[in-house]
Amino acid sequence: MKILKSWLNDWIDIENIDSNEISDALESLGFEIESRIDKIPNYKNIVVGKVLDIYEHPNADKVRVTKVDVGSKVYEIVCGAWNFDINAIVPVALPNSEIKDGFKIEKRDIRGVESNGMICSASELDLWDDHAGILKLSENTKVGSDFAKIYSSVDTIWEIGVTPNRGDCMSHLGIARELSRYFETPIKSNEIKLDPNIENVIKVNSGKTKFCNSYLSVEIENFDITDSDIKVRYRLSSVGVRVINNVVDYTNYVLHDIGQPLHAFDRDKLFGTVSVRKAKDNETLKTLDEQTRKLSNEDLIITDNDTPIALAGVMGGYNSEVTESTKNLLIESAYFDKVSIMKTSRRLNLISDASIRFERGIDYELQNKGLERFISVFKNDQNIYYSKISSSKKESISYEEVTFDKDDIFKILGVEMSDDFIKNTLSQLQIKSKVTSNKITFKSPSWRYDLERPIDLIEELAKHYGFNNFQSTLPVGNNLNNKGEYWYKRKYISELLSSNNFYEIQTLSFADSESNKIFSPEKNPVTVINPIDQTQENLRTNLLFSLINTYKYNYENNSVSHKYYEINNIYDDGKHKLYKNIPNQEYSLGFLIPEYETNTDSRGELIHNDIHSLTNFIKLLFPQVQFEQISRPGFHKNYSYILKLNNQIIGFMGKLSYKAQSSFNLDNSLYIMQINTENFNLNEVEVIKYQPLSSFPFIKFDLSFSVKNDFRASELIEYIETLLPNNENKISIFDNFRNEKSRNLGIRIVTRNYNKTYTDTESGDILDMIVENVQSKYSIKLNKSGNDAT
Amino acid sequence: MAELNFDKVLASLRLRLDEVISENEFDEISKEYLGKDSLLSDERKKLSTLSKEDKKSYGEKLNQINKSISEKIIKSKQDFIEKKYSDLEDSEDEDVTINWVTKKGTHRHIISQVMDEVVDIFSSIGYKVAYGPEVETSWHNFDALNTPDWHPARYESDTLYTNTNLETLLRTQTSTVQIRHMENNDPPAYIVAPGRVFRSDQLDATHSPVFHQLEGLAIDKNLKFTDLKGTLEYFVKQFFGSEIETKFIPHFFPFTEPSAEVLVKWKNGEWLEILGCGMVDPNVLKHVGYPEEFQGFAWGVGIERLAMLKYQIDHIKNFYDNDIRFLEQF
Repeated sequence: MKILKSWLNDWIDIENIDSNEISDALESLGFEIESRIDKIPNYKNIVVGKVLDIYEHPNADKVRVTKVDVGSKVYEIVCGAWNFDINAIVPVALPNSEIKDGFKIEKRDIRGVESNGMICSASELDLWDDHAGILKLSENTKVGSDFAKIYSSVDTIWEIGVTPNRGDCMSHLGIARELSRYFETPIKSNEIKLDPNIENVIKVNSGKTKFCNSYLSVEIENFDITDSDIKVRYRLSSVGVRVINNVVDYTNYVLHDIGQPLHAFDRDKLFGTVSVRKAKDNETLKTLDEQTRKLSNEDLIITDNDTPIALAGVMGGYNSEVTESTKNLLIESAYFDKVSIMKTSRRLNLISDASIRFERGIDYELQNKGLERFISVFKNDQNIYYSKISSSKKESISYEEVTFDKDDIFKILGVEMSDDFIKNTLSQLQIKSKVTSNKITFKSPSWRYDLERPIDLIEELAKHYGFNNFQSTLPVGNNLNNKGEYWYKRKYISELLSSNNFYEIQTLSFADSESNKIFSPEKNPVTVINPIDQTQENLRTNLLFSLINTYKYNYENNSVSHKYYEINNIYDDGKHKLYKNIPNQEYSLGFLIPEYETNTDSRGELIHNDIHSLTNFIKLLFPQVQFEQISRPGFHKNYSYILKLNNQIIGFMGKLSYKAQSSFNLDNSLYIMQINTENFNLNEVEVIKYQPLSSFPFIKFDLSFSVKNDFRASELIEYIETLLPNNENKISIFDNFRNEKSRNLGIRIVTRNYNKTYTDTESGDILDMIVENVQSKYSIKLNKSGNDAT
Repeated sequence: MAELNFDKVLASLRLRLDEVISENEFDEISKEYLGKDSLLSDERKKLSTLSKEDKKSYGEKLNQINKSISEKIIKSKQDFIEKKYSDLEDSEDEDVTINWVTKKGTHRHIISQVMDEVVDIFSSIGYKVAYGPEVETSWHNFDALNTPDWHPARYESDTLYTNTNLETLLRTQTSTVQIRHMENNDPPAYIVAPGRVFRSDQLDATHSPVFHQLEGLAIDKNLKFTDLKGTLEYFVKQFFGSEIETKFIPHFFPFTEPSAEVLVKWKNGEWLEILGCGMVDPNVLKHVGYPEEFQGFAWGVGIERLAMLKYQIDHIKNFYDNDIRFLEQF
């Protein structure tokens, strides 16, 4: 919202207060300053002139020649604007004058006619943006007077943020009330005395609905639709309101002046009693913008003999609109229920200065004053006839008295406030109150619907005390240096992967339907009903797609092939594990390893990864992990595994299928994995199993078995471990030879007994026992060569 | 008596020394000129055959020349070593401005790093990390936070909904975690909740449909507005440095009262908003059934905003494009 220093000065004497100080005040009162413009007089030697004559330019048809009386003299001036006639009163820049931005005006020859200066527009005088032509001044402005005297452009314009709870501050009066407490300067009452001179023709009624507490109107006859007064045009333009004509401008003026929205009807288009009710479903109304609106029973409407003529507080109707030919007016000033106005304006997406004020709540005692000010500003400019104000009010709204312990102020704020401070603040804010030795009783004024509870008043006191005048104390919580499992898990994963040259990424949580299907067709995605665009209509059901996209992006744009990981939520339509009524969400880790990296190893060769690199990195994170082969969409037929930790599934891993690789258009194979971080505990992962050291010599066997292609070496190792339960064992694979016909697996067993040295015989027995057991359990054959006991 | 021609000896020594190419030659030269088989040594042997006077004067001469040769050799050796190192250092003149090892960052995303940093600061004064779902009920995102259906604040954020009854949504603020935490834990509560929030904005330089906030909540007996101020001032100083100035200005949030915004004075003198905070509204505590003697404060801070300020990052889009040129910088 924009406010003007000169306008505020109508309500509180602040002309002589420095604008910097006012900025500080506004900010400390909670009005965020979005921008500020300081206007200084930007022109010199401009006088008021009267156009005596206008005639054609002999050599140009886009301009005309005028004769202008500037009091002391009559000048011939060439002018390119066409929006004025003979007798117009206009600002004239004389020869040797300066207009906006120091631009100098001199006598000059325009196609053979000497032009003695310039007739100015509002923009040229830095008043407001107006390119419609020259600025026409009121008829009774004195010819020859110094324009800078009748019109001073020294001013400050602030654009401020008003929080949604402070509807009462959405006007110059509202801001002035807040400043009044800050500067300890009283608000001017600006009483208006009206002297009605016509009878009311139209009856108004606030209706049976509880959503209109009061409906007031005034009627006006004998007026001209024309430009509004220059001061009004300046003020409205400065606060960003488009000037249209006097009727529209004056309603807008009152709104920005005191915060009461008004609506003007063409009285001659009304036929009976004007009243208020809720619309019926499917009732229609053609609004000012010439659209026929289908109404709902939530919409509050104004009716004329029960026919809808306006959407209350939101937009006027087309059929009762004020036009160029309007002769008589009915001006509405009402108090509508804020929730009702909000629902209608949001549903129809019609948001106006008026609707915003109604929905934030206006002063319920302001309606009469609104009409008074409208008449007052109108009759200042034109000699109008006007009726008395007719009013239809329900039992008036009133706020309850609230009482609370004075100690609560200290209990919440941590400062002691003196009774004097409390009393002065409340009285300057016009909040009726009683302060006793231990209690405060208050009653909110008609414009402050936000002061309902003790806490509301305590906040008000805190604000006027000044937040920056509070002391600071530092309490310490109850979880000293314990960040919790969730955070430590994340840290554990990040540190391991980052230190192994994985780059962490953060990608958006959305996916289109197709990309979810590639890796998790079994999951129903969570859909966004009002998506930003089609690619973001679902939440992702896996992290793999984002990882591949990031890989591809950097491969294509930066020619780099790196490892990446992401830790974030994935979502699906299933039930949430902990909470009711929300979909399933799993805090997951995904990572990606390309076959070739652009990084080099210590030989200077590109790092080459294979399925073992994938398993190694997973074992780095989860040393006890188990792999279990499974077929999975998007994955290589053989390289696709479920990951288990203590027999609980934690995720899956594998190689991207060649088909998927080609559909992503990638030349590099990718290894990918995803785990649900909620499915393991950190203490399970970090378990280190100490193996006691035997002090006896070891015996060692290298065995070679002929096995099938799908044989899993880890099973063999685990099994042999069970055959040597009381020994310190080190069992490893040293060879895995494969050709088309056969596969040989070389296994090295190094074992020591904890209690004795094995004799040659015992050693031989152990070898036989192992070979026999392994052959019979797995139906595999020991190759004759290569088995010797040492 | 035939004396040795010392000049000749010295001249030959000079030539010899000039030709030295290796440090160990100096020992040979010493031997050659002063050793057992040297000319000087031969002369000395002859001394016994001379008269007493001649013996004395020629002896002295020999001593002098001996000393002179010895000094010349030592001096020459010193010069040689000096020159050797000096030449070596002359030959070593790399252009140190060339970066052969380019900086590749920590490999952690800057958003995670900033979240970590903020969490560390609050953890050091007794806060634990809490988390809650990102797809939330409207009740947790709005109603429980004192923002009923008709409240204007409910329309200020463009919310993404996930069901047609508007009962579930993508949380617009991490404040939802306050409610989840208090529903499941008795007071006192000292938590921070970093995480993702969502708005209906297309990704561009200044907007993102996904961004990160960190919510803080402190509920205990006797927590006051002055404690809120002290806590957040502590955070700001830890994060931006102890020189930074802060101020608190009144604001409005449906779930806190009084509410404030914290501004910091930036290097160019501009005051920038960095977080919103306030005393938890009594209605919120009532919604989660906390006993009346408990009260406290809450705050929310934008992680991207902190990162952008601290590292002068220009576009929010950079965080989510994951361009390696961006990732490598942190």
